[in-house]
Amino acid sequence: MTTETHVKDIKPGLKNLNVIFIVLETGRVTKTKDGHEVRTCKVADKTGSISISVWDEVGGLIQTGDIIRLTKGYASVFKGCLTLYTGRGGELLKIGEFCMVYSEVPNFSEPNPEYSNMDQMKNKTVRGNDTTNGNGVNSQGSGSSTTPPQGGRAGSGVGSRANNPGGTTVNGKETRRSTKR
Amino acid sequence: MEPSPAKGKPQGRLLVSTTLDAKDELEERLERCVGIVTSLTNGLSEREANDAITANVCKGPQQHEEVCLGLFALLLTEPPQAQRCYRDLTLVNRDGMNVILIKINQILMEKFLKLQDVCRTQLVWLVRELVKSGVIGADGVLMTLMKQIAGGDITSKNLWLAENVLDILLDQREWVLKSGMLIAMSVYTYLRLIVDHGTPALLVLRQKEVDLCIGLLREKFMECFIIGRDLVRLLQIVARIPEMELLWKDLLHNPQALSPQFTGKGLLQLLTARTSRKFLACRLTPDMETKLLFMTSRVRFGQQKRYQDWFQRQYLSTAESQSLRCDLIRYICGVVHPSNEVLSSDILPRWAIIGWLLTTCTSNVAASNAKLALFYDWLFFSPEKDSIMNIEPAILVMHHSMKPHPAITATLLDFMCRIIPHFFPPLEGQVRQGVFNSLTFIMEKRVLAHLAPLFDNPKLDRELRSMLRERFAEFCSSPSPPTEGRDEGANEMKMEESVSLEMDNHVLLDKEDGCYDNTEAAFSDDEEEVNNKGNKKREFRFHPIKEAVIEEPADITPYVDQLDDTMKEKVLQLQKGSDTEAHCEVMQEIVDLVLEEDFDSEQMSTLASCLAELFKGHFRGDVLPDDITEESLEESVCKPVCLVFRNLCQMQEDNSGFSVLLEMLAELYQKQPKIGYHLLYYLRASKAAMGKMSLYESFAQATALGDLHTCLMMDMKACQEDDIRLLCYLTPSIYTEVHTNVFYAEFPDETLRSGELLNMIVAVIDSTQLQELMCHVMIGNLVMFRKDSVLNILIQSLEWETFEQYSAWQLFLAHSIPLETIIPILQHLKYKEHPEALSCLLLQLRREKPSGEMVKMVLSRPCHPEDQFTTSILRHWAAKHDDVLGEHIKALLIKNNNMPRKRQSLRSSSSKLAQLTLEQILEHMDNLRLNLSNTKNSFFTQTPILQALQHVQASCDEAHKMRFSDLFSLAEEYEEPSSKPPKSRRKAPASSPRSRKGTVTPVSNEEESASSSASEEEDSKPKAPKRKRKGSSAVASDSD
Repeated sequence: MTTETHVKDIKPGLKNLNVIFIVLETGRVTKTKDGHEVRTCKVADKTGSISISVWDEVGGLIQTGDIIRLTKGYASVFKGCLTLYTGRGGELLKIGEFCMVYSEVPNFSEPNPEYSNMDQMKNKTVRGNDTTNGNGVNSQGSGSSTTPPQGGRAGSGVGSRANNPGGTTVNGKETRRSTKR
Repeated sequence: MEPSPAKGKPQGRLLVSTTLDAKDELEERLERCVGIVTSLTNGLSEREANDAITANVCKGPQQHEEVCLGLFALLLTEPPQAQRCYRDLTLVNRDGMNVILIKINQILMEKFLKLQDVCRTQLVWLVRELVKSGVIGADGVLMTLMKQIAGGDITSKNLWLAENVLDILLDQREWVLKSGMLIAMSVYTYLRLIVDHGTPALLVLRQKEVDLCIGLLREKFMECFIIGRDLVRLLQIVARIPEMELLWKDLLHNPQALSPQFTGKGLLQLLTARTSRKFLACRLTPDMETKLLFMTSRVRFGQQKRYQDWFQRQYLSTAESQSLRCDLIRYICGVVHPSNEVLSSDILPRWAIIGWLLTTCTSNVAASNAKLALFYDWLFFSPEKDSIMNIEPAILVMHHSMKPHPAITATLLDFMCRIIPHFFPPLEGQVRQGVFNSLTFIMEKRVLAHLAPLFDNPKLDRELRSMLRERFAEFCSSPSPPTEGRDEGANEMKMEESVSLEMDNHVLLDKEDGCYDNTEAAFSDDEEEVNNKGNKKREFRFHPIKEAVIEEPADITPYVDQLDDTMKEKVLQLQKGSDTEAHCEVMQEIVDLVLEEDFDSEQMSTLASCLAELFKGHFRGDVLPDDITEESLEESVCKPVCLVFRNLCQMQEDNSGFSVLLEMLAELYQKQPKIGYHLLYYLRASKAAMGKMSLYESFAQATALGDLHTCLMMDMKACQEDDIRLLCYLTPSIYTEVHTNVFYAEFPDETLRSGELLNMIVAVIDSTQLQELMCHVMIGNLVMFRKDSVLNILIQSLEWETFEQYSAWQLFLAHSIPLETIIPILQHLKYKEHPEALSCLLLQLRREKPSGEMVKMVLSRPCHPEDQFTTSILRHWAAKHDDVLGEHIKALLIKNNNMPRKRQSLRSSSSKLAQLTLEQILEHMDNLRLNLSNTKNSFFTQTPILQALQHVQASCDEAHKMRFSDLFSLAEEYEEPSSKPPKSRRKAPASSPRSRKGTVTPVSNEEESASSSASEEEDSKPKAPKRKRKGSSAVASDSD
């Protein structure tokens, strides 16, 4: 079995993360421009808590108290906050409920000004990831409008969405991207 | 990429699942087995199919299991094929359906909540078929099924289950009557469920439930008697239902009508019998049990909020769920008995959960039932039979709520006062005695050292306080009025007073209300209630026995008639004689009878009850002879009970009698827990048991506890409570037998690592016994600590009492474990909170030559003006090992100087442990400087120290420079002997208050620092863009 990463060891730019956590809070739903539902959930393990962004159907199924295994996740900075995402080919699976000890502090998703200083570095690391993802998406022929978050980061339509004030999630990513460019 | 909902996860046929749910292994396994069966029978005629699977089953146990499980799963998922599958199952299985029974149990315990509706229906159908066929073990499965009926839940699924199980019990009555345990469990379950089914829509169901309970209680009362006092609690709650009321009256006035063996003092006997855990646990579903146990064993106090919310969301959010609180409270008091290790840790205590259950109670009725549940073991408490753990939650919840929720404490104290006269007036004396026994035992066991702060607290209103003073004068320190003596006579007087109070007592109404919960739909008339109560007082009269329960002679009448004649005769012989030798002979005959092939194992429990009752005298007094000699030891193991032990020792483990004897011991253990440590004693003391210590493990596994560790802890605890000398006598063998691996391999670790056992010992020994144990350690008879576990044990010990801690340290020091091993404990030691450990450690440290780790740990202590620990040890080292200390401090200063500040703060916030910061080191150094200032000590003139100080001064900020200016000034005159050309130096900024020549350039040299540990490498990336300047050569030469 692959080993699990602890929440405390999650750093921006890391990918292929397997994490086991318990869900503490499920956030309100926001809709992206292309109709995806996005929820931000607060999750934790014994080393601390972090926000995870959950997309579409699965988000509606998650309840607080669920113990979930994330496979192939990645971490990145969204609006200055470290956030966990399900990566390409990854998934969230409920493996239990209730019976897991956690520590709510430190909250690794608290806004961290250091991350804004790191943009340059992080973008370097993420870019490699993006490229492969982007290729994958394109070869499947999905347009960026139907592209879920994982692919969205690399979608070719990204630039045009950069000014869109509606899709908040997308927006955060865009900010980062425009810095890069 | 589109998140594909069903990708790779087709919905299984057994369990309800969503895209979020992980695959279920059991479900997959069962579906594979279905595949096997289908492929075997596909396209064949029924007869051919039959032959095919029969042939396959014959191939081996694996094929047998696969086919059985395949048929089982088909039966669950394909109702039309169920009949055929069941027939095939009965034909082909060769293990009495064992594989199936195990799987049903597993599904019930682990998956029932997720089972698809169809499968649920089929599963109940299957259980009914198994019962009809009289399959051995079906009663167990039926009891597990009963456990799935949730209390306080009237959703249709749950009602459906309650009704269907009920139908099985009613239809298969003859079969039910054969199993005593099933009778008792059914009565317990349905008496409880009746409470939930009081609404008009459910009255038909309730009537059936009442019929079942009445039938079983009337016909098999003595089987129900084994439930214990909670039987009365449940009966009282439903006693207003007409048929129940008749039974209730019989129970009170005419007990013989229920059973000829149930005599006048029967009710009291029932109320003094502690309820077996089995019953208290049976009213929680496995899921509730798992969650509660998790909360009480893993969740830290202060972190429970979310878990409570989740539990409440699932089980306590509806109006009808109020009744579940009583079950939960009874379960917590009677079943959840955390180990000492857990009790002394920061794990969520039981009283906090009870407090939560009480404060979130929304109905008065439920609240008074909950209070009664909480105090139920108090009412007839006897230190001999009952456990402190059952009464502890109530006293602690009162104690701990005084500050945050005084209203809770007040209402509980009020309840405690009023329940004495009102529980059942004819038994008032006994209830009073029970409550007094509880309070005395609570003080004896030092759950609370004094009750006065609780009873006479200014936060309570005057009326309540005066009531408490009046009822519990013995426990209030405040002066009592001169008329109130403290003798029994005064008690009598007060009793009369309180009885007369009863007439206008509102709480009584409240309570009675509570007791007759949920029948309000049928009886809601207040008038009637009062009448009813009045009736009760007039009619319900019976004569309480005068003597305390403890003095009773052995009474085996409820049991002895259930034994067959030969056995009965032997047991009666035991009862008559008084000669130990004769007893032993009879006992041997009983053992022989038990070992005979035709012994009916159903009698085992009854026999154990008789023996436990007959031998209760043996379990009082001391076990260990006063003078320990070979003869006296041999003599001490010649009691009748020891005969069972001896027989066990003489038997081979593969002998079938071996497990029969273990079963007998396990049954005895249920009735008389002391037998556990008697066995340990026997194994240690008897010559016949030489080298047989491992028998204890077999015993432990045979008990209801099921595992060695728990069993050993329970037994040592019981021993600790009864006989400290014996505990000390057993200690070396417990530790060393373990150490020398007489026990099985996984065991030594577990015990050695746990401080629980150690705490049990040091909590009770006196200094003589401590000294004896230390000698055992030094001689090599006893090893209590191992290198890899000692640190954790000592950390646990920080919560213990002073003498316990000193003892633990003394025992540790008696071992020769290097001090280095336990140095990290310093991070846990707080000034004023842990003086015991600090002083022991201080004295040990001064005997050591400082190592880097030691210096680091010592410097990591937070600075506190009065805390002299660090200064005193540093001073000592500065005098004795100045050079070594100097080098270590230099290394630490330089290392910490190089650590960026932000990272430090991040790290320290993630852990409660003391962290080393540069500021701290400087502060400690400054204290040391002040302390040494009038001595001739030359510590601060050493080159390494001066180099380090210069280095730090160069890079630290102005505030620090100012604050530690005196310290830095020591290094001012120092010139680096091999210093490079002064081009790398420049004057300190003009703003510096002490701008001097020779100050080294501020330098940031993260890059050069070899000190940042590997784990921090990733963190250091963000720092990269900061000031980048090559460090001065002086610094560069320093840092390596």
